[in-house]
Amino acid sequence: MNAKEMSTLQSMWRLIRYRPILYTANAILWAGVHLFPLIPGLLIQQFFDSLTGQASWSLNASSLAVLLMVTAVARIMNIYGGALTDTIHRFHMGALLRWNMLQWILRQPAAAAIPCSPGEAVTQFRDDSSQAEDAISWTLDFIGKVLFAAAAIFILLRVNVQITCFVFLPIVLVISVTQIASKRLQSYRATSRDATGKVTGMVGEMFGSVQAIQLAGAEERFIHRLRTLNNQRKQAALKDRLFSSLLDSVFSNIVNVGTGLILLLGAASMQRSELTVGDFALFVYYLAFVTDFTSFFGRFLSTLQQTSVSFKRMHTLLQGAGADQLVEHNPLYLRNEFPEHLYPQHFPENTEAPFSSLSVRGLGYRYSDTNRGIANISFELQRGSFTVVTGRIGSGKTTLLRSVLGLLPMQAGEIHWNGSLVKDPVSFFVPPRSAYTSQVPNLFSESLLTNILLGLPEDRERQENAIHTAVLDQDIPMLEHGLDTMIGQKGVKLSGGQAQRTAAARMFIREPELLVFDDLSSALDVTTEKLLWERVEQTPHAACLIVSHRKAALQRADHIIVMKDGYIEAQGTLADVLSQSKEMQLLWEDEHTSACSE
Amino acid sequence: MNIPIRQYWRLLRTYLKHEQGKLVLLMILLIAGIVLQLWNPQIVRHFIDSALQPGISLNDLMGSALLFIAVALLNQLASVSSGYIGEQVGWTATNELRGDLAKHCIHLDQAFHKEKTSGEMIQRIDGDVNELSHFFSNFVFMLVANLLLITGILVLMYREDWLLGAGMTVFVVITIFVLQHIRKAFAPFWVKSSEAYAAFFGFVGEHLAGTEDTRANGASGFVMRRFHGLLRKMLPITLKASFGGYSMWVSTIFVFSLGRSLALLYCAYLWSTASISLGTIYLIFTYTELLNHPLEQIRTQIQDLQRADASIVRVSQLFATESSLKEKEKPLLLPEGALSVAFSNVSFSYGSEDAEQVLRQIDFRLQPGRVLGLLGRTGSGKSTLARLLVRFYDTGAGAINLGGTDIRDASLAQLRSRIAMVSQNIQLFQASVRDNLTLYNPSIPDERLYEVLSELGLDNWLHSLSDGLDTQLASGGSGLSAGEAQLLAFARAFLSDPGLIILDEASSRLDPATETHIERAIDKLLAGRTAIIIAHRLATIKRADDILILEAGETLEFGPRAALAADIHSRLYELLQTGAEEVLA
Repeated sequence: MNAKEMSTLQSMWRLIRYRPILYTANAILWAGVHLFPLIPGLLIQQFFDSLTGQASWSLNASSLAVLLMVTAVARIMNIYGGALTDTIHRFHMGALLRWNMLQWILRQPAAAAIPCSPGEAVTQFRDDSSQAEDAISWTLDFIGKVLFAAAAIFILLRVNVQITCFVFLPIVLVISVTQIASKRLQSYRATSRDATGKVTGMVGEMFGSVQAIQLAGAEERFIHRLRTLNNQRKQAALKDRLFSSLLDSVFSNIVNVGTGLILLLGAASMQRSELTVGDFALFVYYLAFVTDFTSFFGRFLSTLQQTSVSFKRMHTLLQGAGADQLVEHNPLYLRNEFPEHLYPQHFPENTEAPFSSLSVRGLGYRYSDTNRGIANISFELQRGSFTVVTGRIGSGKTTLLRSVLGLLPMQAGEIHWNGSLVKDPVSFFVPPRSAYTSQVPNLFSESLLTNILLGLPEDRERQENAIHTAVLDQDIPMLEHGLDTMIGQKGVKLSGGQAQRTAAARMFIREPELLVFDDLSSALDVTTEKLLWERVEQTPHAACLIVSHRKAALQRADHIIVMKDGYIEAQGTLADVLSQSKEMQLLWEDEHTSACSE
Repeated sequence: MNIPIRQYWRLLRTYLKHEQGKLVLLMILLIAGIVLQLWNPQIVRHFIDSALQPGISLNDLMGSALLFIAVALLNQLASVSSGYIGEQVGWTATNELRGDLAKHCIHLDQAFHKEKTSGEMIQRIDGDVNELSHFFSNFVFMLVANLLLITGILVLMYREDWLLGAGMTVFVVITIFVLQHIRKAFAPFWVKSSEAYAAFFGFVGEHLAGTEDTRANGASGFVMRRFHGLLRKMLPITLKASFGGYSMWVSTIFVFSLGRSLALLYCAYLWSTASISLGTIYLIFTYTELLNHPLEQIRTQIQDLQRADASIVRVSQLFATESSLKEKEKPLLLPEGALSVAFSNVSFSYGSEDAEQVLRQIDFRLQPGRVLGLLGRTGSGKSTLARLLVRFYDTGAGAINLGGTDIRDASLAQLRSRIAMVSQNIQLFQASVRDNLTLYNPSIPDERLYEVLSELGLDNWLHSLSDGLDTQLASGGSGLSAGEAQLLAFARAFLSDPGLIILDEASSRLDPATETHIERAIDKLLAGRTAIIIAHRLATIKRADDILILEAGETLEFGPRAALAADIHSRLYELLQTGAEEVLA
């Protein structure tokens, strides 16, 4: 984490300064919206006083009623103006935060780009950004309401000092105390929300694993568990409800109690005609707004607290970012097309010397949560090589690939490309130098073609080549709309093998020099896999680095790296590793045992 | 306006029966609250009129003021207690409903579950039922209370002056109508905006999950470009939706100002004819203001209630859905020990009659204690055959006998307790390791779990966990390697004592070394039991006594493995010869 974190107010200030003119215009308009209700109060006072002939303005009752309507219409215009500025302003704030977060995340070592699950990170994009938007928008209401309260108290003091002091001060006090108590509410609310999360979680789990439950005949046990959780939620919700309705009723009834106090204090003055019925109406009318302000003030404070939690969460999401990163003033280009120079979209051209060798020395990576990982990984990869990494489950094969490609932050070791040190693998290992297909590739809910291109311009020849090499050519005519088929979330409309081959095509179309695959075998049958390797061989590429324990791949390899418990147990040709490594013999042996060999 | 009160009542009647006492108390409190709210302005009128009359003692006025405060406090008490009781009744009733609904659904057949994602079930069982509980609190507290309050105010207005009452009634009706229509006019913008935001966050989620794919293929630009495109599309949609929201606020300001102005105008007229007191004018003014709140609320409540309509329909539909698997009233018992398996001319298709048959005329017998190796390409019907055995579906034609009993004559519970199935599809859930293994069966002792885990070579893994068996697993088993998850699924089978074991490509995610390691454990599991091993690798079925090869849903060959392997005309022989040592392509 950063030594110097920005405070919430600093971050908010920085956000406010992102669109200063818009913010100022917004502030002026909303001050108007909040100040307008002063006028109906005065009009109503004059109305009652005009009936008794005590009015200070020389307007009759009917023109006052008409003026009430005029004020309402003027306020409505004001609100529409404020709506326009506020919506645009909020949109910019939220968009900037989201833009900055996404941009930063996409620059990180990709396998560890976010410190939590993507589902949780979406909350930061959705709720925490909105929270920051809210907080900034509320500063406007805050300014408006302070102005209103000040003006209202000033007017009321001129009407009757005694009632103003004795009624409003205690009310402000009571509401402030209640506000403090409402902190308690937050803890009840949190408990209640947890309990709700447990119930929905349980329902989700139950129906996500329904086969397992039915097979085990565990239906009743799960229902029993659900009812227990349901009951816990009820208890928590009731506690929350009781407390919050107590608080609510303090707020909603404070106006009534305040009115009662005005009656009590004003009784004598009213008899002496020092306090008119109009004055009384004015007091009651403003009372509602002033109590509203005090409760708003409390909510504003708790919004600020929540906002600081939100900022903290967003900062955590941007692990390792500077304090400024989140609120950095970046252009959003909302009125223009996306500027080409920012991220050029064309086929990557290779301008460097062709690939000759990759050398990895002493590479290590340890996952902080499980303490597992890889250590002391060294190997060489020459042009033309077909290198296979093999090993049993959890031996570190995938971690090895990810560490080399900068998809995990580099913790130990060095990588040399064509003899020179790679300083930042994160930005170095991209096409046209290398491309990668992971074990369970992520496809996006776009068309098949978009998934392959991912921003590259359409190019029939390259498309066809890539699809052919990936052995996807037979599948495409079978799909409903061919290449334009929308493949659904995570590519659900494709079979596992099709998804993996789509990912492979995505890699081939970039024509990288170093092709990196993580275990294709789980979704491809032997024939298809064989065909794929044959076709890869015919494409222009410099070297292959793959994870596999399939014979088809191992027999093709000129170099095999056998992983065990995060270390390289042996490396060399197939014959070498078979003679040197017991682990390799184990892995290999089973592949040979077939039904006939008994 | 279609408020589904009757359906709602039918659904919740059973659950509200036990709460009758509380319901009565609730109504009393509600009415008391309304009376108190209506009473207070009358006190103020009395106060003003008295204050303006000479010769009334100050104590009288003070008394009125104190009465006012007392009434306000009583009203507060009534509102808090009715809120609490209402919530209690609502939760008790809907919790029961939620439990019963979940119970009903979890017993439904696979044809039902195949269509539903767990997210959808959360929405049905929690979302829709919550909607009903909102309906309850909205209906009882808000709508009924607000309607009563409005009626009360109107009645009191008629008492003051019939023309005033009539005017106010017209005002109320027009207001509800106008507000309702304005809402309707802007609702599509809200729908559009929430759809746009859902798509936007869907995009974000997808790309946060796919950073590896994006980075390694140099596609960050593509993602940022799409992101920018979505932002630009969203701005006008957001503006429209926001204007819709503000329009509703603005329309209430306009309508209520109009009501207030008209009321004051009429009062001024009555005053000029000296037919009304100042206190009464203030009373009318207060009642007009008091109308605003319920009128504003009724608008959204009607909306909510209409939304509840859809929920009620869905909940009732769920209750009406019946499992297609019929249970016999007097089920037969399956025999103890290893079970024989017999398929007699079994055909099956998912879906309707004329859908393509997945299995056709399958006919074979497996003696108790024998191991069947089931081979075939993807889609040849292997897994379907297994699903029929555990009665996830019933056969179309033909019959399946286990231990000589037609499986439709046994009870589902007993049938499934006598079969253990480990499939490719591993279902782990967010709970402790213990609960994942025992599925909340408290009668399985921890010692037994340790024993099984160590047999499967998971003891090292177990030791690496911070809280041992109490360690919470993440949903879907994330955090475990695919192989470890599969071993846990194996462990479940070890914990039961079945007469038939089905391994459906159960080791597909294990590497050869790990697979070799658990061989011994599987030997032990299969000893003295009948087993069906579904595999795509020949190596996996080396322990099979009999072989069944399926092709496109039909039996290609069936017989003892040794005999088939020796027969040069058999498919098995061919497979062994071509050296397809891994996958039956």
